[in-house]
Amino acid sequence: MSKFIATRAIRGAHAAIKMADDTLQDALKKMGPDTPVVFKDKIGGGTAFYLPTIWGLLGTKVQKLGELVPVMDYARGLLPPVPAENMWLPYLGETLDAGAATLYAFETIEAVRFAKGEQPEKKDGFEYNGPINDTQMRAWGIQLVDGRMPGFAALVGCAKSTEVAVKIVRELQSKGQLIFISSNRNGRNVADQLREAGVEMGYDTFIVPFGTDIVSAIYALGFATRAALSFGGVEPGDYRRILLYNKFRCFAFVLALGPITDMEYAAAAGAINYGFPAFADTVIPNILPTGITKFEHVVSMPFDDIPGKDDLEKAERLVQRCIELRGIKIKIAKVPIPVAFGPAFEGEVVRKADLACEFGGKGGMCFEWLRMKGLDEVEDGKVTVVGPDMDSFAVGSKNPLGIVVDVAGRKMQKDFEPVLERQIHHMMNGGEGISHQGQRDITWIRIHKNAVAKGLRLRHFGDILHTCLKNDFGAIVDKVQVTLYTQPDKVKELIEQARAVYKERNARMAGLIDEAVDTFYSCTLCQSFAPTHVCVINPERVGLCGAYSWLDCRAAYEIKPTGPNQPVPKGRVINEKNGEWEGVNKFVNEHSQKKIERFTIYSLMDAPMTTCGCCECVMAIIPEANGVMIVSRDDYGMTPCGMTFTTLMGTVGGGLQTPGMMGHGKTYVTSKKFIPVEGGIKRVVWLSKNLKEELAEELKAACEREGVPDLMDKVADGSQVTTVEQLLPWLEEKQHPALTMDPIIG
Amino acid sequence: MPGVEIPIEKWTGKIKEVKLGGGKRKEIVLGGENTLPFLSFEGSVPHPPTVAIEIQDKEPAGWSPILLSAWGDAVKDPATWAKKAAEYGAEAISLRLVSAHPEMGDTGADVAKKTVDKVLSAVDLPLIVIGPGVAEKDNAVLVAVSEAAKGQRIAIGNCEEKNYRTVAAVCISDGHAAIAKSPLDINLAKQLNILLTDIGVPADSVIMDLDTGALGYGLEYALSIRERVRLAALGGDAMVSMPVLSHAGAEAWRQKEAKASQGMPPGWGSVEERGIIWEELTALTVLNAGSNIVTMMHPKSVERIKATIHKLMGKK
Amino acid sequence: MALTGIQIYKFLPKTNCKECGQPTCLAFAMKLAASQAELSACKYVSEESKKALEAASKPPIRLVAVGAGDKKIEVGNETVMFRHEKTFFHRPGLVIRVKDSAGPEKAAKTAEEVGQYKVDRVGMTFGIDGIAIQNDSGNAATFAQCVAAVSAKTTLPLVLMATNPDSISSALEKVAKAKPAIYAATKENIDKMIELAKKYACPMAVRSSDGLNELAELTDKAAKAGVEDLILDPGVRGFGDTLVTFTQMRRLALNKRFEPVGYPLISFPGEGVASPDEEAILAGQHIAKYGGIIVLDHFSPAFVYGLLTLRLNVYTDPQKPIQMKPGLYQILEPKPTSPLCVTTNFSLTYFSIAGELEAAGWPSWLLVCDTEGLSVLTAWSAGKFDADKIAKTVKGQNAAEKVSHRNVVIPGGVAVLRGELEEALPDWKIMVGPREAMAVGGFLKEHWKS
Repeated sequence: MSKFIATRAIRGAHAAIKMADDTLQDALKKMGPDTPVVFKDKIGGGTAFYLPTIWGLLGTKVQKLGELVPVMDYARGLLPPVPAENMWLPYLGETLDAGAATLYAFETIEAVRFAKGEQPEKKDGFEYNGPINDTQMRAWGIQLVDGRMPGFAALVGCAKSTEVAVKIVRELQSKGQLIFISSNRNGRNVADQLREAGVEMGYDTFIVPFGTDIVSAIYALGFATRAALSFGGVEPGDYRRILLYNKFRCFAFVLALGPITDMEYAAAAGAINYGFPAFADTVIPNILPTGITKFEHVVSMPFDDIPGKDDLEKAERLVQRCIELRGIKIKIAKVPIPVAFGPAFEGEVVRKADLACEFGGKGGMCFEWLRMKGLDEVEDGKVTVVGPDMDSFAVGSKNPLGIVVDVAGRKMQKDFEPVLERQIHHMMNGGEGISHQGQRDITWIRIHKNAVAKGLRLRHFGDILHTCLKNDFGAIVDKVQVTLYTQPDKVKELIEQARAVYKERNARMAGLIDEAVDTFYSCTLCQSFAPTHVCVINPERVGLCGAYSWLDCRAAYEIKPTGPNQPVPKGRVINEKNGEWEGVNKFVNEHSQKKIERFTIYSLMDAPMTTCGCCECVMAIIPEANGVMIVSRDDYGMTPCGMTFTTLMGTVGGGLQTPGMMGHGKTYVTSKKFIPVEGGIKRVVWLSKNLKEELAEELKAACEREGVPDLMDKVADGSQVTTVEQLLPWLEEKQHPALTMDPIIG
Repeated sequence: MPGVEIPIEKWTGKIKEVKLGGGKRKEIVLGGENTLPFLSFEGSVPHPPTVAIEIQDKEPAGWSPILLSAWGDAVKDPATWAKKAAEYGAEAISLRLVSAHPEMGDTGADVAKKTVDKVLSAVDLPLIVIGPGVAEKDNAVLVAVSEAAKGQRIAIGNCEEKNYRTVAAVCISDGHAAIAKSPLDINLAKQLNILLTDIGVPADSVIMDLDTGALGYGLEYALSIRERVRLAALGGDAMVSMPVLSHAGAEAWRQKEAKASQGMPPGWGSVEERGIIWEELTALTVLNAGSNIVTMMHPKSVERIKATIHKLMGKK
Repeated sequence: MALTGIQIYKFLPKTNCKECGQPTCLAFAMKLAASQAELSACKYVSEESKKALEAASKPPIRLVAVGAGDKKIEVGNETVMFRHEKTFFHRPGLVIRVKDSAGPEKAAKTAEEVGQYKVDRVGMTFGIDGIAIQNDSGNAATFAQCVAAVSAKTTLPLVLMATNPDSISSALEKVAKAKPAIYAATKENIDKMIELAKKYACPMAVRSSDGLNELAELTDKAAKAGVEDLILDPGVRGFGDTLVTFTQMRRLALNKRFEPVGYPLISFPGEGVASPDEEAILAGQHIAKYGGIIVLDHFSPAFVYGLLTLRLNVYTDPQKPIQMKPGLYQILEPKPTSPLCVTTNFSLTYFSIAGELEAAGWPSWLLVCDTEGLSVLTAWSAGKFDADKIAKTVKGQNAAEKVSHRNVVIPGGVAVLRGELEEALPDWKIMVGPREAMAVGGFLKEHWKS
């Protein structure tokens, strides 16, 4: 906590209390304690919430002047002493209390002003709005809840110039923020500036001028309080839930323009109670540690130091930074490209006759590389094309292309890079006239003539990726910037860098072992078909559909915390060898309608994972051969266990736990954690032919790793063996290791 | 031979009670049981399931002649219709705002508000209002409906995973119950309940519409999803223990078995009996699987299903 | 605790002789574990093993057949309380009751009429499953005459309903070969009924007039006497009591393995209700909640159609959804210019898209591909709904002859197939429809120009 700010805020709170006391005592003397106090806006719209901040936070209904006396007594009690010069102890708690006291004082002052008929305020023939009426609060409150409106910006003071004021307001409006105006600098405030520029203010334009002094800023908090009471289902007096509701639901902040007064610091401290951070365009100390607000509490952004070619650009950046710091995510309604965009174009093929140009493919050079960067290293929405563009390429020509996507986000993790990068394929294909295949350095993109004719250029790739990444992965991605390179030298240079990264990622994936994590992830997507099935996905075993890896699940959980992928803490180990943990058992039991009591990760014979309906492969023991066979979904033939894939599925599918049989993903066969309890890959005596071919390299590597490099020559497939009677002589002839291993059935 | 010991299931969970109506309006309570449907020998079923009659704000098009003749001219005006439904024994009215659908008239918030006002003053039964099912229009008209019915504690739907916030917000604000609709999937149902409670809808103000397939058209899914949700709720999962609403009537009467009178195979029997039994079997099945309120359409089936519920509650 | 397949396997001969009908001993063991096979199918299992396996292999509810030949009704052998847990295996039999007091001609005529009733649904034909003849007259000769008259007019399985063993005996003399069910052995007549059931090897119903204790005593007696094909009537009637009692019996049989109630049930929804309509509703309850043989007093095609449909729904295997027959379906009355839409043969998928087309008032051609009953996305990801399959179906069903245009709408969920489809169907324009059936009306309105 900054001593400077704490001192000034507490000093401001003292001043606010004094001002409220004086005003109230004077009014009581002149008008008597029974004088009614009622809030109304300039068109006479009222509120059923009494003095909303006082009612909401304290649960006190104030309807008469006299009822304000205990409120002020309470507020005074909150006030900490002003820190002495040599005292270094003012902490956050005290400052927040001072802020709360200020809010009660401000609402008291406005109430007295209403009693005196001095509100809503008039100045030079301009009528300020006063507090927002209930009808409007409801209309905006709904939008706050349903997400159409993120929150509000309370503008305090006066912008550097009229142009800057207008720019700030327009930028805020474009982000869907409500704008509240109060206070002044030397008698001028943003409302004055907007009037000069001829900008309409009022409910219709989402700009509400409250008043000329900082006291009127209380109407912003009255609005926030009522929103929580109405839409948060919070009872008056439950201050904690009101504050939390606003912290998480109402993306509001204070933007102080120009030098800040003590009383404004005090008001900002009050707003921080609600989780609303304060930003300033002047030099003040930052309060960075997070806690009360979602991110930083107070951030200084001296206007003249903001990068930008002129004041307008600085203003734009200022607003953008505020939006970022408050954690506001904005959805982009439409992908801004000259061709249509949507899932309907995913299957489009660009034929030779229609080809404008292509990138990558056979003999070409094209890559995609998504990198995580720091928040200050990425300029959101920036798309740069380095080199010649599509319209300059010869018809039908093949050109080099490098797509570098820089992503930043508070919740972004390095491990999500490949997860997001894999989505590029799906996103790019949504564009009409764009056909995308492959990934990493085997990307191949073909462009339709019509698309180029309609104006499609390389920068639109960037626009697609920016929009889709922000919309679909907004939970982890805050900023996206895309650079597209077409100069052969540059592409060649970058593709080497990218390849090094791919390699590094592969190595990281290989190093991502079960022992290195304390949390697995679940997948319950299939429960609509298999009600008791729970996939538990560990780093070394993909989901049995083959589609979800541990990393995918972790990212999916970050993106949708209520979704089908939930963290499964391993908990206390029950049996290290079998891979049985308390946490896993508990999770599986709870999510299988209590049907499955225990669950091992590493065994086929002892409480193996259940099987749903969509596994890529099924393995089954062949007791006669003392081994296991694996049949894949795309193998329609007979297997040595006497059942085809479909029949096997009928036996194990539907969420059953069947020792000796289990569904799994294709790549599981090559995992280090492939049924280790039963002896791993050495147990495999039969494989579907297509599986053997598809995974040839990985299988070879796995066999070498396990010290049986020639194992695959000893494993039969469907072209050689389809019955157990044929299998046994085959295995004996090849001297398959399974024959001499411990009995698989104990 | 030792005596037979009746197995008793001890459930830890209980279906939440959701109240509708109240005040000057009749009150119904949905839920509250701590056992499977009608098995009061091992638990308590404090509130029998409610039978609501579904009406709409626009003269129906393409309806079965059997239904139309049962209601006569009442279908021309929702208030008259609601009154007649009350006379026929409706315990609640379910009003579908068909006319707000972009293809069915595209009426706006003002019309919806007026219709709800009229229906509320025509009958003293609890009300359910269902939007046209198009997100934008739902949000526009249901906000107005909620305000018009403030203080009357109605149920408003639908909240769906892709569009629940607006309706949820007004339900919180105006004290109504929100209907959470999910497509025959227990996890999605649960997720939606979590989302709704997350944004502040009290748990005693959520009613689940788990989606209903009619007899012959996916009724088995409707049955199983209800049984699964019930078992999970009674097993202690509070996030699926909200009462369940089933639109048995609308689903059944949509099917050609309920409508077709001519050119049908003789095995189908008479259209008069067919439509009604279609609705009755649909309703009965979802009730036995776990529904706290069914919306129905034909006066005769309403009467019989009410009688059936009465008997299932152990009353002679 | 039931044994796992592996545990059972250990007791089997491990010869893979295949005589049990399963390819290997392990496969047979797995079937036994799932209560889907009988241990008696293995001729070579040792006595010792048999004993050990008996408990695990005996189905908790016995499978009982009424009648003989193709039309016999098989009920029982259920393994779960709720169909989602596995499936309900054996559809209850719908039986119509006639009375001998009406005279043999009338009873036979009703039986004949009822026997001819049939109705098609999703490519299958259903009808009434049996005839019950009640000895209303109390006279054995009248009963036997009526039973003979009925059996001359129908091949449906019979239920012989009389409490007088003489009546049953004289009827059995005429029709025992057809293996009718005897209804019912009671406390008073059980010894004689057991004799008859044994003599003619017919299934026998047991009725209690005093709750489950009496029922259990009676069945225990019958089983000990060697009559094991039993059907149970616990003596309760009406909605509430049958729901409760049938549920308790199913639980006793499945969860407690209480053998005396481990048999299928017989119920009479027409007894103790106010009207034929109510009878039909209660019959519906018995279909969903544990009925076995359901005896109806009224025959109305509309009601029966509803009940048969309900039975089809409830007894569908949740793992194997109802499938539509692949083909080109007409929605409303399509013209050659009407839209052509493609979908899968998962019944729910078909019903939703057909329903939406109908509701939106679009006469159209709906081409149903054989995806083995999978929905659009599931079928696509399993490789059962690809460009090749769609193209083959378009050609195989002669769609080009039915429509005058060359536009085909594919589900939005499989937009990725467009390119390949264009290759596979070069004469056709491939239109990508919406992802959700609900949006099809709007989609056609916007994009379909005939």
